[in-house]
Amino acid sequence: MEKKSVSVTLNNVTKIFKDPKGKADVLAVDDANFVVEPGELVTLLGPSGCGKTTTLRMIGGFELPTSGKVYIGGDDVTMLPPNRRDTATMFQSYGLFPHMSVFDNVAYGLRLRKIEPEAIRKQVDEYLELVGLAGYGERAPGRLSGGQQQRVALARSLIVTPSVLLLDEPLSNLDALLREQMRVEIKRIQRSLGITAVYVTHDRVEAMSLSDRVIVMKDGKIRQIGSPDEIYEKPDSRFVAGFVGKAAFFPVAIGERNEGVWECMLGDRPVHARSAAPDIVRNSRGVLMARPESLRLVDKGEGHLDGRVRMNVYLGHSLESYIQTAFGEVLVQVDDPNARTIRKEGEEVSIEFPPDRVRLLGEREE
Amino acid sequence: MVFIAADLWIYSSLMGSFTAFVEEKNHDEVTLFVQTAPEEKGEYAQWLKGIEGIIPGSAAVYLDYRDHEFVPTVGMTAATDALWREAGGSAAFRQALESSYYLETTKLRDRYQVRYDLAGGARTKVDIYFVPVIADNGYEALGTVMVLVPSTGILGFARLLRIFAIGAAIVFVAILWAVMLTRDPVTSFMVLGLMTIVLVFVAYPLIEALRLSFMKDGRFSLETWKLGLSPTYIVALWGSLKLGVATATASTIIGFMIAFLVERTAFKRKRLVSVLATMPVISPPFSLSLSIILLFGNNGLITTQLLKMKAFSIYGLGGLTVVQTISMFPIAFLTISGVLKQIDSTVEDASLDLSATRWQTFRSITLPLATPGILSAWMLVFTNSLADFANPQLLAGSLRVLSTEAYMIVTGRTNDLGGGAMLSFLLLLPTLTAFMVQRFWVARKSFVTVTGKPSTTLADLTSKRVRTFLAVVTYLVIGFIMLLYLTIVVGAFVKNWGIDYSFTLANWKAVSDSWNAIKSTVLLALIAAPTAGLLSMIAAMLIVRKNFPGKRILEVLMMTPYAIPGTLVGISYIIAFNKPPLMLVGTAAIIVINYVIRELPVGLENGITALHQIDPSIEEAAHDLGADVPTVFRTIVLPLVRPAFISSMSYTFVRAMTAVSAIIFLISAKWYHLTVKILSYSENIRFGLASVLCTVLIIIVLGVFGLMQLLVKDEKLTRKSIALR
Repeated sequence: MEKKSVSVTLNNVTKIFKDPKGKADVLAVDDANFVVEPGELVTLLGPSGCGKTTTLRMIGGFELPTSGKVYIGGDDVTMLPPNRRDTATMFQSYGLFPHMSVFDNVAYGLRLRKIEPEAIRKQVDEYLELVGLAGYGERAPGRLSGGQQQRVALARSLIVTPSVLLLDEPLSNLDALLREQMRVEIKRIQRSLGITAVYVTHDRVEAMSLSDRVIVMKDGKIRQIGSPDEIYEKPDSRFVAGFVGKAAFFPVAIGERNEGVWECMLGDRPVHARSAAPDIVRNSRGVLMARPESLRLVDKGEGHLDGRVRMNVYLGHSLESYIQTAFGEVLVQVDDPNARTIRKEGEEVSIEFPPDRVRLLGEREE
Repeated sequence: MVFIAADLWIYSSLMGSFTAFVEEKNHDEVTLFVQTAPEEKGEYAQWLKGIEGIIPGSAAVYLDYRDHEFVPTVGMTAATDALWREAGGSAAFRQALESSYYLETTKLRDRYQVRYDLAGGARTKVDIYFVPVIADNGYEALGTVMVLVPSTGILGFARLLRIFAIGAAIVFVAILWAVMLTRDPVTSFMVLGLMTIVLVFVAYPLIEALRLSFMKDGRFSLETWKLGLSPTYIVALWGSLKLGVATATASTIIGFMIAFLVERTAFKRKRLVSVLATMPVISPPFSLSLSIILLFGNNGLITTQLLKMKAFSIYGLGGLTVVQTISMFPIAFLTISGVLKQIDSTVEDASLDLSATRWQTFRSITLPLATPGILSAWMLVFTNSLADFANPQLLAGSLRVLSTEAYMIVTGRTNDLGGGAMLSFLLLLPTLTAFMVQRFWVARKSFVTVTGKPSTTLADLTSKRVRTFLAVVTYLVIGFIMLLYLTIVVGAFVKNWGIDYSFTLANWKAVSDSWNAIKSTVLLALIAAPTAGLLSMIAAMLIVRKNFPGKRILEVLMMTPYAIPGTLVGISYIIAFNKPPLMLVGTAAIIVINYVIRELPVGLENGITALHQIDPSIEEAAHDLGADVPTVFRTIVLPLVRPAFISSMSYTFVRAMTAVSAIIFLISAKWYHLTVKILSYSENIRFGLASVLCTVLIIIVLGVFGLMQLLVKDEKLTRKSIALR
């Protein structure tokens, strides 16, 4: 099982799907550049149609880039077909061989490598054990539950000891509870094998909880690369901010920058925010992004934005307050709700923007 | 490697056939020349010079037979003199001269170098022929003529051919390199291979046939087509159309009634009826004609013996329509039942619920929903009726139809291939129109929505009386079919049908007489079946799963034979493959190729449908785990599309066993086909023998068909694909 971890590098990779009639070519991936470090789990996150699966398929060798290069462990594999790449893919629909037993499914890759039957039996048992399916070898894949099929697919991919594991929305066909279990399972196995992994998903919670780093994509372009907390706390565009979590946006007039903090005007009140966005220009318009949990409710007139409590939704560990303001309804999350912190419905309040918790973004609407 | 071998093979066979061709021609010409020998030996010198006008560059010497020896007397030159002195005593010459004594024309096996004025004084290689001059009494050789024919023509051709062969090999190696460098060499090779196959065996013959129909005496001419559009053949076109419309209409009505009974009513014996009603699909196309003749023909059991009718004749439009309807209504039945099955019963329930009567519901809901299916069925039967060759051949009487006319013009005295091609193209017009309409218009107008869950309950739209009526019609039709098959079997044991009905086994000598035909028919069908099955699955995989330039062309070319009448295929094959570069007529290969090419479309469709239902990530997973393209095909694709694979194999087998229309042009003495044998027995009123062979054929087909069905449960698919030709 020991194997040296390798990196995966994409250099200026572009993929255009040619329309057979030549009319509507689709630009699926537009000039993607990134490096996945050895042993790292990186997630490609984005809405459907953003090119994340195409990117993964180019790493796996199922699609050929229109231009650009793909490197695995420093070797140019751009032109290599899947069977000659040291990658293993887990497909969204698992792609289990329906005409073979669980054992034969897992053994398939080893049999192709002309390994002794005895050794195959030993290894298959070992990997079925690893994914918690010991004793299921003789079953047909169709007779397993979704989660079990998932594990078979995982064992089948891992048994050929690939250098890179590619996962294409592997959990999307599972129910919520099972998904959580498998998420932990995948991360545990990936860590213990030290295998480099690229994970595709449109589920931000999955991306956040699994990844070392997240690559957010939209319309074929990479929008931001960073650790989960960077992506969440310091998004550099409105799209990323909105895609990875709940966020409220307020139009502001951008003023001067002081020690990395921008001075802005929200209506007639000044607010302060940091920014990583590239398109911020002094004395122009911008957007202030705030997460519900970073906002605080204070008495009327004391915060940055006045409003009235429209509705409270009690969740136990927190409370969601919907505040009617001049900029529309704003959601504020009140942690540790108790008599002291809860504002009654209909009460006049003010919202405070802590400078370190809100971000200034470019105005561009996406 | 394979290509290099093929290159060599083509080279040597071309070379061989060309040499044989030239030598045969020279042989014929020198023989003819010597037959023109003048009476007087004094005129010989003049006469011998004439050879030069027949074969340029050649020379002839007359050797007189005197005192048990051939002695050169007339036409000697310095060069021939030298040759005679040098080789005249050799064993080869002696043998040739001895043959001349026994009145046989001989050509020396070796070529001789001669230095004389044949071709400008240079040393020339010549072929030497010895042709005896025969005395008036017809059994005595007066002497012999030694003809020297320079082989420059053959040698020049050989050089040219060699250059071509080397060129082809170089091009191939270049392509090989180019392909090897791409990502997926196996796929590229398979695409190239399939492309070559369809270009050579689909596009090329059709183009050749079309070209020939525009030629007369080696020049472009519209004469053939003018002939085709003359009243003589317009009558035949009209006859084909009349027959097609009659058969299609009758078949659709019967097919609809049975399909409705089986699919939309509470009728009990659905399965039995489905099986029996589709029987005609897997039996030879003209077996029903045969039994119709036995029952209703000029000496028919029913018409003549039982009813004592004198004026009745089964031959002609009426009888032909009956036979075609019985053999083709299963097509309509299967098509329409496919559509009826998918109509969601809840819409009928809804209509009944809105207090429509059952008849109103049928008329305003069921019938409109089924209309695309009914139209499809009509078109399909129409196309089949027009393409049918065997039944008209036996039963047309004075009715003239295009398929048989095309056969007659080709096999007749004039041997007019161009005319045959033209008539088949004429036949192609309505066929292709119907095919296109069915495919691209009717099929698209389908309203039927596939919900994926067949409705469990049926809104029974029929009253008991209607159902009884439908059941009676169905049983009558099935009973008639059974009667026809029974007649064939009985006919096999009857001494002399129509005259002497006593029991005999004598007819069964037909089996031993036709043993070779039976063997080759079965053998070739057994070769064609897996070939077509495998090829169609490979092609399906390429078309569904891979992207490559020219995919659309490949698909269209592979589907083309589906829409083409067998007669046209047969005629275009003899036009294209009875000459270099591909001399295939007379070989088993051309018959197998014909089967494979004609049955590929159905296998391809089955394969494509099957593959569309398989998640591509299954194959990708295998590929990803290290399997290359052939391994993926072998271990994943083939097992998964097994039902489609086996059904197209059985389909091809059945079709190959029962083929007539194209095969009748391609058979040879060595590779005969059972159906053609049955046809000729029937035409020659040897009904007993025909019945025996027909029975044998049906038994073989049913046997192998059943065997293959054991391997796959999806029997309906096969029957359906056979019928939907």
